[in-house]
Amino acid sequence: METAAIQTHGLTRRFGALTAVEDVTLSVAPGQFFGFLGPNGAGKSTTIKMLTGLLEPSAGTIEILGSPFGASALELKRQIGVVPEGMALLGRLTAPEYLRFVGRMYGLDGATTNRRTAELLDFMQLANESRKLVVDFSHGMQKKLAMAAAVIHGPKVLFLDEPFEGVDAIAAGMLKAMLTGMINRGATIFLTTHVLEIVERLCSHVAIISKGRLVANGSLQELRAGVASTLPGTEQEQRLTLEEIFLSIVGADGGQEPAQELTWLA
Amino acid sequence: MAGIDSAGIDGMVSTGGVLGAAARAQYAAMAQLRWSMFSHSLRSSKGALELGARTMANLLYAAMGVAIGLGAGAGSYLIASKNAWEYLPIVFWSMCFLWQMVPIMLASFQEQFDLGILLRFPVLFGSYFLLYVVSGLVDISTILGGLCSIGILVGVTLARPDLFGWTLLGLAVFAAFNILLVRAIFAWIDRWLAQRRTREILGAIFMLMILSLQLLNPALHQRRHDRRNGQPAQRQSVEQQTDELRARYGPWLQTANQVQSWLPPGLAARALRQAAAGEQSGYGAVPALGSLIVLGLYALAAGGALAARLKSEYRGENLGQAPSRKKVGKRESGWLPNAAGPIAAVIEKELRSLLRSMPVLYALGMPVVMVFFFSAVFHNRTSSGLHPQMQIALPIGVAYALLGFTQLFYNNLGAEGAGIQLYFLSPTPIRSVMLAKNLFHSALFLFDAVVAGVIIGFRIGAPTTQLIAATAAWLLFALPSNLAVGNVFSVTMPYRVNPGRMSRQRGSQANALLSLLVQLGILGTGVAVFLLCTLAQALWLAVPIFMALAAGAAFAWLRVLGNIDAMANQRRDSLMATLMKMG
Repeated sequence: METAAIQTHGLTRRFGALTAVEDVTLSVAPGQFFGFLGPNGAGKSTTIKMLTGLLEPSAGTIEILGSPFGASALELKRQIGVVPEGMALLGRLTAPEYLRFVGRMYGLDGATTNRRTAELLDFMQLANESRKLVVDFSHGMQKKLAMAAAVIHGPKVLFLDEPFEGVDAIAAGMLKAMLTGMINRGATIFLTTHVLEIVERLCSHVAIISKGRLVANGSLQELRAGVASTLPGTEQEQRLTLEEIFLSIVGADGGQEPAQELTWLA
Repeated sequence: MAGIDSAGIDGMVSTGGVLGAAARAQYAAMAQLRWSMFSHSLRSSKGALELGARTMANLLYAAMGVAIGLGAGAGSYLIASKNAWEYLPIVFWSMCFLWQMVPIMLASFQEQFDLGILLRFPVLFGSYFLLYVVSGLVDISTILGGLCSIGILVGVTLARPDLFGWTLLGLAVFAAFNILLVRAIFAWIDRWLAQRRTREILGAIFMLMILSLQLLNPALHQRRHDRRNGQPAQRQSVEQQTDELRARYGPWLQTANQVQSWLPPGLAARALRQAAAGEQSGYGAVPALGSLIVLGLYALAAGGALAARLKSEYRGENLGQAPSRKKVGKRESGWLPNAAGPIAAVIEKELRSLLRSMPVLYALGMPVVMVFFFSAVFHNRTSSGLHPQMQIALPIGVAYALLGFTQLFYNNLGAEGAGIQLYFLSPTPIRSVMLAKNLFHSALFLFDAVVAGVIIGFRIGAPTTQLIAATAAWLLFALPSNLAVGNVFSVTMPYRVNPGRMSRQRGSQANALLSLLVQLGILGTGVAVFLLCTLAQALWLAVPIFMALAAGAAFAWLRVLGNIDAMANQRRDSLMATLMKMG
């Protein structure tokens, strides 16, 4: 049996009285483009933080490429790349300096780091901004730089927390091409985003989390079939978009109490 | 025509200037916000610790302010009672210096609320300006300046009750000038430092200033040396020397005096002198009033400078997005060796960040400049080398240089911001990161210490070999002690620092106070050992004592480094939350 790229069992995280993530069990196969969806505050970022070692789970286990975090944490970190929620950028460096710094932190030799830095800056169309400090970058440019930093060491598993937020359509297309290329070469990608069209186009498997609990998990076809079975008329299945599936599973109110209508708004 | 009119919107308070209902509601909301932030901070034990530390620090500042106020009061009393008004400018210049310099010195350690967050709301410019000025009234510098002013008021009034009104008026205008000027300086410094080119120019000027001071030293030293080595018959009497100095520098001093009398501290002092003369001769208050009007114009100019800066911010200019240097094409910055490995990477990154951070460079360089000035105190060197009483100058100078490193040692992750995540994501242990930072900061400190030592050597005289050895041994104890405790503090009570800003920093009183106590302990140990060995006339004994202490400190530092990964991982949530938090 093939070892899962990402495997969790009973993953739970509590912050005092609040349970942000509860009993999440999922498995992501190698080479899978996995979309992890949920409304705001559902526990997506908390889950990704636990999966990447930024946050200690309160309970449950995590295995990445068949190894648990802990004793092999440093070796595991060499195998994964992350665009975290805060992007992990260092504002007082220029983009080439930052990428060279990251490359060396991941243990790449100088020549490889320099070569990949130049290639990534060209690819991300940041080469002309090589004298500008990261703090002066626009949000979209920072996202592209964070993406470049996440892949500079050639990770086998890539975790992306809202990587397309603030990125223009041209750059988004470029990033999607890069990610698809990675999948074709055998990498595994774990993606959280609110842009459901991107998930629909790129991801083969999707999990949905709501109020900290996993409420759906499977291939897009499986989710579509599952939702369609609850709707009258079998032809519905062919027309269901991911947005409709998502809203059907978590509810149009995102699992919250229905809001009162704001009649004072024009 | 369809216009923008908020009058008809339900629940909207009507506007009415900076004191209108809407503005008052906003002030109340600000006060409520500050109170909520304060009360929420007490929910955690860290917040309670912070409050305790802040209370202690404020008590310390208050005691300092009362002492300075008493000194200013006593000085003013003497001046007024002896009618020696020509010395009053010294008091006002000292007060002005204190008012303007203290905030810069404390900028890194004080929590300052960034009022820029208000700009997303419909706040009137006048309200924004007013809030900016009012928030400066609770600055340590204003409190110290206020106590100083009270001291002067009491001192002058006790000696000359008839001058109470004039003193009160003069001090009020002078205080307004200082408050506006200090706020304007901060606002403009942040603006300048936000631009890379200005940072580089200021950095170059700063370095040139230090170099010039150092080159001035040997010249002055040589001149003194020549004079002291003259034959007794050729030596001049004190009177002759005074006459010579007067003849040479008299015109310069007179010009300087005239110039200062038209500057704000000089104007404030002149107004009081003129009022005193007017009260005695009865020729009226016109000259004094004239001086105060000119002083008021200075205050208006300072207010105008502040308003100009705040207006730019108000119109939407973001300091963080200040214009950067235009594209100059690809240019590899290859002046640093491209050494492999994470330790080299962190050192290189620290160096690059340091060179782009004027406030940090200032903090590191200023103690060395101050050593130059203070070394004048130990000026009277004997021809046979360093006077025994001046032995203390070298360790004091070196220890003083250590002060600039407080923030780097005790909050060495503070400037990482969101970059802190990278250290937890990368396969590099935190131990390696801390080791690299410690090595880099130690090298910087040793450079500063050597420069301070050389300055003292030129300015006062070459210290004995024993003294150099004892000071070096103390450093071997002090450095790992600071690093060990600094690493622990950096992980357990970090605070976010924006290295490109002097003001609007978060700061942590707990960290500042505790690090001060640790430094006092390290300095106290050094003083005690130096004192005992000097009294026993066996300074050489200090070397083995300090070496033994150094071994203990080095062991502690290594232990801390060994455990730092566990400590950091245990606190990574709060560490990341603190260093990445917005607003």
